[in-house]
Amino acid sequence: MDALTLAAPFAPELVVLAGALLVFLLDVAGVRRLEVGGAIASAATAVAFVLVIADLGFAPLAGVRTLGAGRIDLVPGAGAAPLYAFSSLGLVFQGLFLVAAFLVALASLGRPSTERGAPIFYGLLLLATLGMLLVAIASDLIFLLLAIELTSIATYLLVGYTRRDPRSLEAAMKFYIVGALSSTLSFFGASLLFGAYGTTNLYAIRAAAGTVGYPVLALLGFGFLVAGLAFKTTLVPFHAWAVDVYDGAPSEVSAFLAGGTKKVGVFAFFLVFLGPVLFARAGGPNPFSGAPFDIGPVVQVTLAAIAVLTMTVGNVLALLQKEMKRMLAYSSISQAGYILLGVTIGTAPAIAGATLQVLAHVLMKTGAFLVVAAVASLGVGPLIDDWRGLGAQRPALSVAFALMLLSLAGVPLTIGFVSKFVLFSAAVEAQGLYVWLAVVGLLNSALSVFYYGRVLKTIFFDPAPAPRATGAVAGAAGPPPLAVGGIGYARAAAIGIIAVAIVAIGIYPQPVLGPIQSAASHFWAGGP
Amino acid sequence: MTTLAPTGFVALSGALLGIGIFGILTRRNFVLLLIAIEIATNAAILNFVYFAAFAPSAPLGISGQSIAVVLVGFAATEVAVGLAIVLALHRAKGTINVAEVTELRS
Repeated sequence: MDALTLAAPFAPELVVLAGALLVFLLDVAGVRRLEVGGAIASAATAVAFVLVIADLGFAPLAGVRTLGAGRIDLVPGAGAAPLYAFSSLGLVFQGLFLVAAFLVALASLGRPSTERGAPIFYGLLLLATLGMLLVAIASDLIFLLLAIELTSIATYLLVGYTRRDPRSLEAAMKFYIVGALSSTLSFFGASLLFGAYGTTNLYAIRAAAGTVGYPVLALLGFGFLVAGLAFKTTLVPFHAWAVDVYDGAPSEVSAFLAGGTKKVGVFAFFLVFLGPVLFARAGGPNPFSGAPFDIGPVVQVTLAAIAVLTMTVGNVLALLQKEMKRMLAYSSISQAGYILLGVTIGTAPAIAGATLQVLAHVLMKTGAFLVVAAVASLGVGPLIDDWRGLGAQRPALSVAFALMLLSLAGVPLTIGFVSKFVLFSAAVEAQGLYVWLAVVGLLNSALSVFYYGRVLKTIFFDPAPAPRATGAVAGAAGPPPLAVGGIGYARAAAIGIIAVAIVAIGIYPQPVLGPIQSAASHFWAGGP
Repeated sequence: MTTLAPTGFVALSGALLGIGIFGILTRRNFVLLLIAIEIATNAAILNFVYFAAFAPSAPLGISGQSIAVVLVGFAATEVAVGLAIVLALHRAKGTINVAEVTELRS
C-alpha cells in the first residue's frame, strides 16, 4: 500500500490539521488578519464535513468517498488491537463536531478585525477540532484520552487567548486546573482498567466488561473514569467550573465549549460505559436485579443517579440566574443530563435519541451563545434584564434566539422536541425503572419552560430601558467591519443557518433521524 | 507471572494520587498546584508500569510501558500549557495566587 492509500481514510482529520498548520505558518509569515484565519478555518471545517458526510453514505457525494464501504462498522479482529476504528456513529459525531466548529469559525468573522490574536484563535480552534475528530474514531482507551487531551489543551488556551481580559484569563486558569485534575482522574481510571482487563482496547473491554477476574479493580477504574469524563461533560457534581468558564470566556469560545468540545465527553461515555450497562441490562429491565457488587448494575445505577442529578440541579440553578451567559451555562449542564440518559438506558433507540439530542444541543447552544456574542457587540449588558425590549429593536435576532430557547425547552416543531421525544420514548420502551427516568426528564423539561419563558417575556413584552444608546455604544467600540445592522454578515449567516436548521429538522426529522438510528443500532450491536 | 496481587501497589499509587489531589484542592500558589498535578499524574504512570511488569504476556507488557512513556510526554505538555497561563496571569494581574483571582462570582 502506498502512502496515499494509507492516508486516504484520514482525509477529514488531515484537512483540519493542514488548516491549523497553515494558520500558524501564516502567523509566522506576518499574515495575521482575522478574515484570512476565519476563511481558512471555515473552509477546512466545511471540506472536512463534506468528506465525513460522503463517508457516511450520502449518495450525491459518493464521488468523494475516502473510506471503502468495508472499513465502516467493521469489528476489529480479536488478535489485532488497532488504535482506531471507523464506525458510522463515530462519523455522525465527527459531522456534529465539524458543524459546531464551522459555525463558530464563521460567526467569529464578525469580531472586530483590529483585534489581536486571530491566528491563535483559529489555529487553536482547528487543533481542538482535530482532537474531537480523533475521539470519534478512537477504539483504544489511551488513544481516546489523548485525543480528549488534544482538545482540552487547545481549549484551555482558547479561553484565555486575548491575554488581556482578566476575566477570560481567570476562566482559563480555572478551566486548566479542573481540566488537569479530570484528565489525571481519567488516566488513573484507565490504568486500573488496564490492570483489570489486561488491554486498553475499548471493544475488548466492552465485550469482557462484566466477566472480569478483578472486579474491584475494574469497578474502581470505571469509577475514576466516570469522574474524569464527567468533568469534561459538565455533569453534576463535577459541573461547577463550567459556569465560570462559559461566563468568562469570549462568547464565541463559550459557544464552541458548550456546543462542541463538551460532546467529546458524551462520545467517550458511549465508548467506555456501554459495555457495563449492556451487562447490567442482560440481567433484565431492573438495574437493581444484579448482585450487589456486579460491575454492570453499579455502573448503571451510578450513571442514572448522575443523569437525574445533572438534569435537576442544572435546571433549578438556571432558574435562579440573573446573567444571560450563566443561565445558558446552567441550562447546558441540564441538557448534558438528558444526553447521559442515552447511555444509562443502553438500548439502540436510546443511543439514537441521545445522539439526536447532541445534534440539537450543538445547534441550540452554539446558536444561543453566538446570539449573546452578537447582542453584546450591540452594547447590551450581560444581565437578562438588559435584554428588555430587544424584540422590538432587533426582531430578526430576537426571533432566532426565541427559536433556540423554545427548542431548548422542547416545544413541538423544533429539533429539541424531536430529540426529547425519541429519547424519552426509548426510556418508556425499555420499561421497568427506566420509565421513571423518562418521568424525571419530562418534569425537568416542564421546569425549564419557566426560565426560558421568563427570558422570552423579557425580550418581547417588557418595555426597553429608557436611554438605549445602542448605536453610540457600538460605535464607541469601533464599528464592526462587515456591519449589517451592527452584528455583521458572518454572524447573521451563522445564526440564520442555525435557526433554519432547528425548525427544518423539527418539522421533517427523517433525513437526519434515519442515518442516526441506523448508526446507533450498528454501534449498539457490538460494532464499532 | 500468572497471579496478580495488585493491592499493595495500587495502594501506593492511590496514595500518590491522593497526595496530588489534596495538593490541587488546598494549594493556592499556581506553581505548587502544577507540581501537585504532576504528582497525581505520576500515580497513573506508575500503575501502567506496574501492571506491565506483572503482565502475563510480552506484548501486553510492552504496551503498558509504552503507554507510560507517552504519558510522561503528555504530562510535560500539560504543564507547559499551565506555565503559559501562569505567565499570562502574572503579567495581567501581578499575582499567581489562585485565591486572589476571583472576579467570576455571582
